[in-house]
Amino acid sequence: MIQVENLQHTFLIGKKGKEKHVPVLKGVNFEVKKGEIVAIVGKSGSGKSTLLQILAGFMKSEQGSIKVNGMETAHLTEAESAAFRLQQFGFIFQNFQLMPGLTAFENIELPLKLQGIRKAMRTEKVKKLMDKVGLTDVADHYPNELSGGQQQRVSIARALITNPPILLADEPTGSLDSETEQDILLLIQSLNRELGLTFVIITHDEEVATIAHRRFRMYDGELVKEEA
Amino acid sequence: MLFKDQLDFVTQHIKKNKLRVFMTVLAATMGCAFLIVLASVGFGLQDSIRNEILSDEKVTKIQVHGNDQFTEEQINEIKNIEHVETILETITVNASAHSFFEDRDTDSELYVANMHNFEQVNGKLEKGKYPTKPNEIIVGYHFAQSLVNDAERKIIEEKNKKAEAEGTFYNGSEEGYKDSLIGKEIELALMPRIDGAKETKKTKYTIVGVMKKPSYDWMINNSIYMDTEQKPMLATTLAATDVKEDDMFYSEFNIFADSMENVKPILDKLKDKGYSVFSVTEQLDQMNVFFLVLKIGLIFVGTIAVLIASIGIFNTMTMAVTERTREIGVLKAIGASPKLIQRLFLMESTFIGIIGTLIAVAISYVISFVANATLPLILEAATGEDAFSKNDIIFSLIPWQLVLIASAISIGVAMISGYRPARKATKIDVIQALRQEL
Repeated sequence: MIQVENLQHTFLIGKKGKEKHVPVLKGVNFEVKKGEIVAIVGKSGSGKSTLLQILAGFMKSEQGSIKVNGMETAHLTEAESAAFRLQQFGFIFQNFQLMPGLTAFENIELPLKLQGIRKAMRTEKVKKLMDKVGLTDVADHYPNELSGGQQQRVSIARALITNPPILLADEPTGSLDSETEQDILLLIQSLNRELGLTFVIITHDEEVATIAHRRFRMYDGELVKEEA
Repeated sequence: MLFKDQLDFVTQHIKKNKLRVFMTVLAATMGCAFLIVLASVGFGLQDSIRNEILSDEKVTKIQVHGNDQFTEEQINEIKNIEHVETILETITVNASAHSFFEDRDTDSELYVANMHNFEQVNGKLEKGKYPTKPNEIIVGYHFAQSLVNDAERKIIEEKNKKAEAEGTFYNGSEEGYKDSLIGKEIELALMPRIDGAKETKKTKYTIVGVMKKPSYDWMINNSIYMDTEQKPMLATTLAATDVKEDDMFYSEFNIFADSMENVKPILDKLKDKGYSVFSVTEQLDQMNVFFLVLKIGLIFVGTIAVLIASIGIFNTMTMAVTERTREIGVLKAIGASPKLIQRLFLMESTFIGIIGTLIAVAISYVISFVANATLPLILEAATGEDAFSKNDIIFSLIPWQLVLIASAISIGVAMISGYRPARKATKIDVIQALRQEL
């Protein structure tokens, strides 16, 4: 499903004229198979977030190749990359990244709007999914009226609404207490089992990594496979 | 994204920042209204002057320069040009006509013309009919007023002195013959305009018609008009004096088109044929060029106001983009194309421009209406002259073309000033945006 080969990236740090080249990714290789939960674990500054951002197309790598469903994505233009994201990826962010001016329902509906789907069809899809993730009661609530766990559920529902084959999660439980964390991890596991969705989870939390089928550890720009 | 959803998105954001958007719309409205009202003065003045010119002269008239005398052949040639209605030869008798009626008398100009053509050109009379029999004449509107006796002359002189002392003048409208002159007989003697000439013997004529009032208030017409059949008899009368035969009459030719639109082609054809002709429509053309330049100047000045308003739009949009950095980041992350994001922001600035323009157009019409209704009264009160309210001066006129130009300018400027912020929105870095705190 995802093949990453020899991915390299360097940051320029410091004042103009006195910049220092700091390598963040030093030739990363890994593969994610369909229906897998893969965790990339690492301390902050290890380069795991950079890896996710390049994977998602938010930034470009200097060298290397990324193939998603057989398609090379490393050289897509910004517009192509956006269209690709809309079809292939769903995103779950650490701090949920919900639109504060939209209700839970409208937040989940947003990707469908971007896809140009008509209102009647959107409403039906969103209602079904909200029911599934247990959000029906809070459909008309704004993000600031929801608990952290509810917000992350909305965020997951938003990621799922377009039926993407791959979900990219950046510290999905980073802002939640341990009880809610368990809820969200169970939800991810059940989605993986029932819908066969592929998850790539970036985390520093070893607990989160336990739900993964395979684990990679990021250390100083290099990725090492760990046994599950 | 469906267009309706894009609209929803934009209106949702506008609703969230009602006051800021309202103030920006207000600035756009003021700029655009200023532009329209300013330029409307140019349009209004042009219209007033155009009406003035058109009411003064018969617009279908093509005048012939100088004292060119047309031959029969030339007259036929001109008559054969398409849309030429008639050629009117007006002969001025080179003598002052001295008319006597009861104890009154007056001096006036005497014209001879083919009464059939004359009627075609001048249309209806104020009173009476055009001459059909020998010795029948028609007179100008003020002829009766100019017929005064010695007593009235003195009164007029006194009134005139009084008026002069006040810095005005008196036109004698309160004196003269008050009853209808139709059917009345007058005696007419001719006084050649040469030194030492004597008045001819008197001939009797019957007044059968009175011409319409001249289009200008200050114009006095007390002339006498008779048919060309009278020309030989006038020549005989004048021959008794020392006037040379060549100096007795001067002809002036005027060509009349059947409608105003056809004046230009006829004029062009006549000029091609070597005739020296002109018409008020040419005067209009020159005036139109002048006003075109004036209007462009006024629109230019008005556009500066619109540009100032555009700074407000630029600020509002830049603020909107900065405030929504995180939202834009999320939109981009979940797959909104840069083009869509640019379009959403451009729509917002265009919306401000359109609403501002619509309100401005409505306000401008109100201002224009109020100005036209009250300015004449104010000027009349300030200057003490009633000319402003009488002459139907249009101070402000907003034709649809002006609305179109002003709308294009202000909506265009709104879009341009929203362009940079919209571009900035597309350039927002997703990672940076997502890191922003709520």
